[in-house]
Amino acid sequence: MGRMWCWLLLVVTLPALAVDYPPVRPGRSVSLPADTGAHPGYRTEWWYVTGWLDDEAGVQRGFQITFFRVRTGIGEQAPGRFSPAQLILAHAAVADAAQGRLLHAERSARASGLLAGAATGRTHAWVGDWRLEERDGVFIAEVSAREFSYSLALEPSQPPMLNGRAGFSQKAPDPRHASYYYSRPQLAVSGEVTVDGKRHVVTGRAWLDQEWSSELMPEGARGWDWVGLNLDDGGALMAFRMRDGEGRALWSAGTLRTPGEPDRPLAPSEVSFEVLERWRSPRTGAEYPVHLRVRAGGRVLELTALMPDQELDSRRSTGAVYWEGAVRVIEAGREIGRGYLEMTGYLETIRM
Amino acid sequence: MNRALAPAFLGSLGSRRLTTLLSMLAIALGIALGVAVQVIHDAALDEFDHGMRTLSGEADLQIVGPRGGFADALFEIVVLRPEVAAASPLLETEARLFGEARMLRVIGVDIFRLAEVQPVLFPQPAAGEDRFAALRDDAIFLSPGAMQALGLKAGDTLRLQSGLEPLPLRVAGGVPGMAGQQVAVMDIAAAQHRFGRAGMISRIDLRLREGLDLTAGREALGPLLPAGVQVLAPERARQQAAGLSRAYRVNLTMLAVIALVTGGFLVFSTQALSVVRRRTEFAFLRAIGLARQELMRWLLAEGALVGAIGAAAGVALGYGLAAAALTLLGGDLGAGYFAGITPRLAFEPIVVAVFLALGTVAGVVGAWLPAREAATVSPAMALKSGGDAAALGGGRRHPGWALGAALLAGAACLVPPWAGIPVGGYVAVALLLAAGVFALPMLAARLSRVLAPLRMVPVTLARSRLAAVPGHVVVAGAGVLASAALAVAMAIMVASFRHSVDDWLAQILPAELYARGARAGSSGYFDPAAQALIAGTPGVAKVDFIRHDTVLLAPDRPAVVLIARPLTADGRELPLVGERVATDRPVWISEAVADLYGYGAGDTIGLPLAGELREFTVAGVWRDYARQSGAIMIPLERYRTLSGDRLANDAALHLLPGETPAAVAARLRERFGGEALELAQAGEIRAISLRIFDRTFAVTYLLEAVAVVIGLFGVAASFAALAAARRREFGMLRHIGLTRRQVGLMLATEGALTAAAGALGGLVVGGAISLVLVEVVNRQSFHWSMDFRVPFGTLAAFCVTLVLLAALAAVLAGRQAMRQEAVMAVKEDW
Amino acid sequence: MLEFVDLTRRFGGPGGRVVIDRLSLRLEAGEYVAVTGESGVGKSTLLNLLAGLDKPDSGAVRLDGVELGMLDDDALTRWRRDQLGFVFQAFHVLPHLTLAQNVALPLWLQGEQGPASVAAATAMLDAVGLEGRAASWPSELSGGELQRVAIARALVHKPRLVLADEPTGNLDPHRAGQVLGLLRERIRAAGAIGILVTHSLEAAATADRVLRLTGDALLPLEPTR
Repeated sequence: MGRMWCWLLLVVTLPALAVDYPPVRPGRSVSLPADTGAHPGYRTEWWYVTGWLDDEAGVQRGFQITFFRVRTGIGEQAPGRFSPAQLILAHAAVADAAQGRLLHAERSARASGLLAGAATGRTHAWVGDWRLEERDGVFIAEVSAREFSYSLALEPSQPPMLNGRAGFSQKAPDPRHASYYYSRPQLAVSGEVTVDGKRHVVTGRAWLDQEWSSELMPEGARGWDWVGLNLDDGGALMAFRMRDGEGRALWSAGTLRTPGEPDRPLAPSEVSFEVLERWRSPRTGAEYPVHLRVRAGGRVLELTALMPDQELDSRRSTGAVYWEGAVRVIEAGREIGRGYLEMTGYLETIRM
Repeated sequence: MNRALAPAFLGSLGSRRLTTLLSMLAIALGIALGVAVQVIHDAALDEFDHGMRTLSGEADLQIVGPRGGFADALFEIVVLRPEVAAASPLLETEARLFGEARMLRVIGVDIFRLAEVQPVLFPQPAAGEDRFAALRDDAIFLSPGAMQALGLKAGDTLRLQSGLEPLPLRVAGGVPGMAGQQVAVMDIAAAQHRFGRAGMISRIDLRLREGLDLTAGREALGPLLPAGVQVLAPERARQQAAGLSRAYRVNLTMLAVIALVTGGFLVFSTQALSVVRRRTEFAFLRAIGLARQELMRWLLAEGALVGAIGAAAGVALGYGLAAAALTLLGGDLGAGYFAGITPRLAFEPIVVAVFLALGTVAGVVGAWLPAREAATVSPAMALKSGGDAAALGGGRRHPGWALGAALLAGAACLVPPWAGIPVGGYVAVALLLAAGVFALPMLAARLSRVLAPLRMVPVTLARSRLAAVPGHVVVAGAGVLASAALAVAMAIMVASFRHSVDDWLAQILPAELYARGARAGSSGYFDPAAQALIAGTPGVAKVDFIRHDTVLLAPDRPAVVLIARPLTADGRELPLVGERVATDRPVWISEAVADLYGYGAGDTIGLPLAGELREFTVAGVWRDYARQSGAIMIPLERYRTLSGDRLANDAALHLLPGETPAAVAARLRERFGGEALELAQAGEIRAISLRIFDRTFAVTYLLEAVAVVIGLFGVAASFAALAAARRREFGMLRHIGLTRRQVGLMLATEGALTAAAGALGGLVVGGAISLVLVEVVNRQSFHWSMDFRVPFGTLAAFCVTLVLLAALAAVLAGRQAMRQEAVMAVKEDW
Repeated sequence: MLEFVDLTRRFGGPGGRVVIDRLSLRLEAGEYVAVTGESGVGKSTLLNLLAGLDKPDSGAVRLDGVELGMLDDDALTRWRRDQLGFVFQAFHVLPHLTLAQNVALPLWLQGEQGPASVAAATAMLDAVGLEGRAASWPSELSGGELQRVAIARALVHKPRLVLADEPTGNLDPHRAGQVLGLLRERIRAAGAIGILVTHSLEAAATADRVLRLTGDALLPLEPTR
């Protein structure tokens, strides 16, 4: 369900600050693997996996799983099994063109013993029987919902990629709005996916993001666009832009990995998004740029959606409507990779 | 049936408007009462049921424990079981409004677990509240019913009591799913923390994995649970509520039935007399070709019409009563079984149909004997002799039947209760009434013999009339007997009950002053510091602290109240009944526990305390009028040792000599603040308890009065009808030298004798019924015994009044006939 | 001695219809007369006036020197109780009393309750031909027998005046004859004044004298014998 919802949480809880959240400062750099675990002091944190899968019949699907950790600032003086001080919220989806729409499910719970939590020191987040866990360097992602389930092993083939300045990722012109952020592109995927009651053995490539912060959303922002792309040549690109009410970029940034070169942080001026084609949601009426041109660090990449309808309408639960889906990467008329695109703020302004 | 004859029959009802109206009124009263009780109860139970269903939501099973709750560690164990698809923990608290007596049911919920099990409990934050409002420990969400009852809206502050302190909570929104209920919802962690119940939950509602049946689920989960915690299907709660209030409802319904029976008797009286007066008419109709069966059918139709109209009026009246009662008293007529719900009255076609049928049947049954009598009379005879009151039917004496009915009644008392209803007791009551009616002529004859030494012509005439025409006694006296029997039975039962309650209160409240935190599972309590503060208050000689909790002894029964208080080894402080046993691990069980679970003195009983099953010996049985589902007393020290629970709900304060309760109470209020502590003097509690008792039974007094009035209607109606038939007799008597006064005296004597026979029969039958009520009905419905106590003075006054009123009724009824000149009365002869 | 003088009774207030117009008659003890007349001529009214159940508009009724007009309601009742015997067309035997009790009723009213009254009643029943039936109930008797009971009741307390109102109206001719004979015999035996009101000339013929009521006069009728 994207960062969107989590950011929303951050925004709306702002007025009732009861605890001091540690600020995100440019001086501190992300140090791995210690930082792959949770950072419970920060207000919010997420582990975010997206990827493409091919089954034995060659059918392509997108998948996504996100674990959010939220420190609510509530009930920290009264510890107990049901203390709402730390919440774990999880969201998972499968994009299957045969279904014509995104299959998704969510779980949330207070962090409590075996029921839900996020461990420190290593990547391990869980809600009920959903989990994302690193074991011996391999990430296990397990999700079971009414419409789908999957159990995947994600094996890193490259070192992590620190975004921004050694993991300090600024989100707006004011450096107060920032996070600690690293990505793990080019994860080799193997496992099983069950959709519509049918089990498929799958392989593929995925992308893991971990990001934590106490204050992210700049004022005047209406939404953002974000991409995480695994390129076939072993390269990778993370790029995002924060949009204002008129659709102009308030801030943009990215990281470009080219095989054989050091990772290259991209300044705001080096990243831009251009709309090529829009798709109008029959459910919400929102129009999403499902066909985009992204310029980043000199590369010009065209993104086309696996299927146009990858919209998430969770107005009844979280109130958010956004688009989050699998995209193909085209460069000079040729597919050179695959990734995930997230677009928020196309229906209504995020409530401030 | 030939419709053309309708005016000849049904029209006759119109020509005796008063008696017809009285019969209808009696039936209407009975029906109204029955309908009201039924409809109110159904409305309440429906709402309760709805509440239970919405509360347990989509739960397949519920894990419940004592009211004090159980350790919340169980939740994780349960949720992680493969059999469980979803589970939701709840912590229920009866929270007292700070400084008020009102209670509010507060349900602590985990909003993240509601969706799949109890979506109706979802709190809905009001506009302006943030997304985490439902997690905050200063926020509470009220159902629409609670908002209304408390007069609060979103944004207001609700002050509840926690321990002895006020707990201000912000009304952060509503609970739209709980429309009919008065409940509040807050975060479960907040509830644990704010009400001092850290680590405790009171319930887990769960859904099983698809395809798993309830039995398998219960078998899988049962072994995981600590002692005193059980896994149940959610219907049980409804059955318990229905069972609890059923006893109360059944008793009220019985009063309604008695009113209905009295109404039936009245139909019988008026029809019997009307039939006598119309004998010639019927003879003529028969002579010109009306078949016997048809005559009978028409007469039954008259009764049916009276019954149906009465019943229709009764249904309307009943709904009116129900609406009024619901507004004034609530769904349990003030008895407290359905606290916290707002019932709505619904039209119930089946109930209405049943009661309409009942009323009609009462009318038909009442008309049956007279109709048969009229149909069997030979038309030739009737035509020749003309109308004569002597032809009154039903005059055969049935000493054997009376004896048989009484014996059967005795046998019925031995029948065990059926589904908690003392059916045998009710059958016995009906049989006793029948026996009384059968014995009525005999009684009247006996009574007339008693009057033999009284050598007054009017008395002699009255005596010989009653002796020779016992049918009249039955007709006029049966209603009196039924109503008197009911009144006497209730009077004895209530007197016995009141006396026993009074004694019980004296024994159960030995201290001078009582301080109350609140009930178990609720938000008020004394912690050890508060206990020390109380004990250290100047003027206090000794304090007995009392702790309340509940234990589940059987999965299919309501929880039993556990009372821990300082007790001596022999339990002499308790109102013990029956055998006592000396033991070093004593508990004392209430009569309800003895009845419901079959324990007796000397038996070993296992009680779950703090999740561990502990064995005790039943040292004795004590009488308890407060807790129908049962209560167990345990010495406080032992309870504290075994459970580790040091809190107390109540404190009984024994004062130093010379101290007044008022002075000590003032000191306590000073120490604790006026609003946190509920203080009462033993005398006050006793007075209040007795006042509540009297108020509860005021309704029954009213019903008795109504029944007696109906019975007197019967006397008046039958004498009015007979007096008209006896006009010529009075005329002849005046001719041969009886003064007007003497004729009046004769009628008064007849009325008094009839009523006396009815009243005497009522006394005997009522005494027997009261025994049934005390020993069978109450014992089986409420599981408590009482000391039999007959209020002789009241009963004597009641009977004398009844006889005098009946005499007056007879004279008034005969007056019209007497007022006519003797000349006119025999005119047709001259 | 029964005497009435200028007896007048009108209905419907002053100026109303005059039913009895200045009627006078005098009867000695032991006399037994029959009064006949057309329907509506005032036979009933005359009987009511003689029994003190109705008050004349003018004139007076005296029995053995007692003027009825001077007595109040209670005194009249007591007077009837002691001095009068009645025989009705419909018998009016109380169904809930035995024959003896029915007959003893006038004695009871005089304060004689006990074996004596029952003995007297039984003797009286014997005298009217109902020997051994003292304990029977009225429902066991025929119409003629019931009227015998009524005659016994009318005479048991030795009244000075016996008023019989169409006593055979409900009986067949054979029984009527028997009852009328009995009535005459018993009245005579008691030495009372008897007045038999009937519209049957046959019945009237059993009396010593027959008077025809015309409204303003009582005319002697020739005895048929």
